[in-house]
Amino acid sequence: MSTFHDGSTSSHPYKEPSPLPSSIPKVDELGTTSAPLKSAAFFIGAYCKGYNEDFMLCKAENRDPAHCLTEGRKVTRCAQDLITKMRENCLKQFDEHWKCLEGNNQEYNRCRKPERALNNCMFEKLGLIKTIPGSPPGQKQIHEVENPIFTRVQK
Amino acid sequence: MPPAGGFENVKYKRNLPFRGPSGLVILGGVTAICAYGFYRIGLGNLEKRELQRENVWSRIHLVPLLLAEGDRDAYRRQLAADAREREIMKDVKDWEVGKSVYNDARYAPIDKIVIL
Repeated sequence: MSTFHDGSTSSHPYKEPSPLPSSIPKVDELGTTSAPLKSAAFFIGAYCKGYNEDFMLCKAENRDPAHCLTEGRKVTRCAQDLITKMRENCLKQFDEHWKCLEGNNQEYNRCRKPERALNNCMFEKLGLIKTIPGSPPGQKQIHEVENPIFTRVQK
Repeated sequence: MPPAGGFENVKYKRNLPFRGPSGLVILGGVTAICAYGFYRIGLGNLEKRELQRENVWSRIHLVPLLLAEGDRDAYRRQLAADAREREIMKDVKDWEVGKSVYNDARYAPIDKIVIL
């Protein structure tokens, strides 16, 4: 017997074993967890800007998942590419930063030291700069401030 | 008779020892400390706003990536559901598989799923 369930409140996991049809090109999902993603977020934003904007414009046209599969694949491939490059060039700094985020409630302001090392490495090796859009002009951006007020409570 | 060497001098001078800084100095000091504290709070509020924006933008940069992944999954599940529907309803004439319940071409995500 079948009954209606809200997918989000069901006690059974909502599993669907059938794969995508082979007519749709295969793309490996980015199996990265939240902390590494947060660590790499600004570099993904800088490196994949074009693909990301393309995808979001496409989504603004139509919210149907079938409508933007091509753009979505490009977004995922670009992110894959960036994470691979990051791991090739700045593995040590990357690992240090995301492990720090993992241990600090994923708050950027408690992990500035490893973040600076990562930012330097990313700029030297890949030429990517972390910029926060909309920061007040003429001031240092928040991740560059040397003596911030909000730091770790335990030094 | 007076004692030898005469009487002691009469003590007529006021004896007021120094009893700490004056009220004005304390008031001024407290005001200065409070003013510095409020100044730091103001700086802290500005900084907190920046930290929030940093956090929000880190999420905005990840939205396309997460959305794309979710879309692929939703599309795969929808195709599978349509195939199932086609199989179940193959004997019903004029049945349109995967037709929206709304008379509207816009996409409406399903909010209920059937778990067998």
